[in-house]
Amino acid sequence: MIDNLLFLSTPITMLILLAGILSYFGNHILSRGIIFIDIAVAQIAALGTMIGLLLGFAETSFSVQLISYAFTLIVIGLFAMTKLKKQAIPQEAIIGIIYCLALGLAMFLAEKIPGGSNYITKTITGNILWVTWKQAFYSFLVFAGVGIVHFFLGKQFITISDNLNKFPFSPARVRLYELIFYITFGIVIVKAVPIGGVFLIFILLIAPTAAATLFTQSWKKRFIWSWIIGIVGSIAGVYISYTFNISNGPAVVCLLGLTVFILAFIKLLSKRFNQPA
Amino acid sequence: MIEFMILPFIACLILTGITVYFGIHVIKREIIFIDIALAQIAALGSSVALVLQETFTNSHIHHAEHAAVRTPDYALSLLFILIAAMIFTLLKNKKIKVPLEAFIGITFAVATTGTVIILDKGAGGDTHIHDMLAGSILWVTLHQVMRLLIVVFVVGLFHFIFRKKFKALTDSYHNPEEKLTNPKLWDFLFYFTFGFVIIEAVNIAGIILVFAFLIIPASISSLFFTTWSNRFLTGLIIGITVSFCGLYLSWVMDIASSPAIILFLSISLFIGIIILVLRMAINRKKKLPEVNIK
Repeated sequence: MIDNLLFLSTPITMLILLAGILSYFGNHILSRGIIFIDIAVAQIAALGTMIGLLLGFAETSFSVQLISYAFTLIVIGLFAMTKLKKQAIPQEAIIGIIYCLALGLAMFLAEKIPGGSNYITKTITGNILWVTWKQAFYSFLVFAGVGIVHFFLGKQFITISDNLNKFPFSPARVRLYELIFYITFGIVIVKAVPIGGVFLIFILLIAPTAAATLFTQSWKKRFIWSWIIGIVGSIAGVYISYTFNISNGPAVVCLLGLTVFILAFIKLLSKRFNQPA
Repeated sequence: MIEFMILPFIACLILTGITVYFGIHVIKREIIFIDIALAQIAALGSSVALVLQETFTNSHIHHAEHAAVRTPDYALSLLFILIAAMIFTLLKNKKIKVPLEAFIGITFAVATTGTVIILDKGAGGDTHIHDMLAGSILWVTLHQVMRLLIVVFVVGLFHFIFRKKFKALTDSYHNPEEKLTNPKLWDFLFYFTFGFVIIEAVNIAGIILVFAFLIIPASISSLFFTTWSNRFLTGLIIGITVSFCGLYLSWVMDIASSPAIILFLSISLFIGIIILVLRMAINRKKKLPEVNIK
C-alpha cells in the first residue's frame, strides 16, 4: 500500500497543481462562454510542433518547443483582439473556426511528415501516470508565475468576464488585459496538455466551475468550490482508476463529467420540490 | 476522373445543403461544438454495441468489419443520441445558470474517454479517434450516398414543414421569456433530427469536415445577412463552390480531400472578412451610418 502511495504521489501532486490553476481559469472561460478554447489552443500547439518538424528540427529539441509556443501565443493573441463591440459571430464560433483550420492544416502537413498522423492525435491521451517530479516542479514554477500575474490583475479580469460585448475600461486597456489574460492562459495550456492530455485538461477546466456555477453566482464561492471539486474529483478519479485498473486520465474525466450531470439534475429536481408548479 | 469524383461531389452537395441549414441554428444558439459531441455519443453507442456483442457471442469482431455500418451498432448509436437529445433539452432551463455549450463539452470529453475505456482500456484509442476525425469522402460508396440522401431528405422535409416552429425556437433562444407552444418537444426534435443527420454525415465525411461545413459557411453568411433565407442561400453557394474547388484540388494535387475543402472554406472566410472590412471603411468615408452587422 505504501509503495502504491509513493508511486501515485507524483501524479496526484501534478493533478492537484493542474486542478488548482485550471479550475481558476475555468470560471473565466465559463463566464465568457468560450468553452472549447483549450482544445483549439492544444490543436494549434500541435500544429506548431509539426511546423517545427517540417523545418527539420528534432521533436524534443528546444527549437520545436519554441516554435510551438510562439505560434500558439501569436494565434491566441490575435484571438484576444476579436472582442468587438458588435459581435457579428460569437467568439465560440471563432474558436470553432480556429480549431477546424488548425486540424485541417495538421492533417494536410501530416502527409508530409513520416508518421505525421501521430502528431495530430498525440495530445489527445497524455499520460499523467508517468509524470516525473522534475516535470511537476517546472509546471509549478510556470503556474506560480501565471498565478502572480492573476493575483495582481484578477479584479480587472473578472470585470471584463462580467461585461461581455462591453468595454468596462478604455478600449486600449481592455485590449491589454485581454492580451495578458489569453497569453497566460495559452502558456498554461501548452504546458499542461502534453502532461495530462486534451480531455483531462478540458474537464479540469470546465467541470468544476460548471458544478460550482450551478449553485452559486458569486466569483469568490465559485473559485473556492471549483478548487474543492477539482482537487477532490482528481484524487477520487485516481483512486477509482487504481481500484478498477483503468487509465487515470479517462477515469478522472468520466468521474468529474458525470458528477456535473448528476448535480445538474439534482438542481433541476430540487428546485421543483421547493417551488410547486 | 469524372466517374471517380462524381460520388464524393454529390455527397458534398447533400452534406452542404443540410449542414448550412443546421449551421445557422447552431451559430444562433451558440452551441458550436454540438456536432462533435453528438458524433462522439454515436461512436460511444456503437462501441457499447460492439463490446456487448463480443461478450454475448464470445466472438471477436474485426475492426474492418466494425467499420461497415452494422444494425446493432446503428440501433445503439440512435438510442444514445436519443438520450443525449433528452438531456440537452432538459438542461436548457433558466434554473441552470451554466451555458449549454459547457454540458456539450463535458459530453464530448466523457463520451470520447468513455469510448477509449470501453475499447481495450486505452490501447488503439488514438487510431480510433483519428479515423473518426479524418473520414474519407473520396471513398464514399453509392450505398452510403443513398442512405445520406434518404436521411437528409426525411429530416429536411420535416424541418421544412415545421420551419416556423424551429426558427421561432432558435430566434428566441436567448430570451426565455418568449412564449412558445411546446418548446421542450421541439427542442428535443431539433437535437434528435440533428443527431440523426450527424451519424450519417460523420460516417461519410469525418467529424472535422462536417464541423467545417456546419460552422464556416453559416459564419460567413451571418457577417452579411440577417434573414434565414439569405443566410441559407449564401451558405449554400459557398458550400457548393468550395466542395467543387476542394475536390478538384485534391484530385489534381493528389492531397487528402477534407483538408483541401477546409482550405477553400477558410479562403472564402478571409474573402468574406476582407469584403466586410472594405464595406465598413467605404461607409465610414461616406459618413453613412455604420453597417449593421448583427
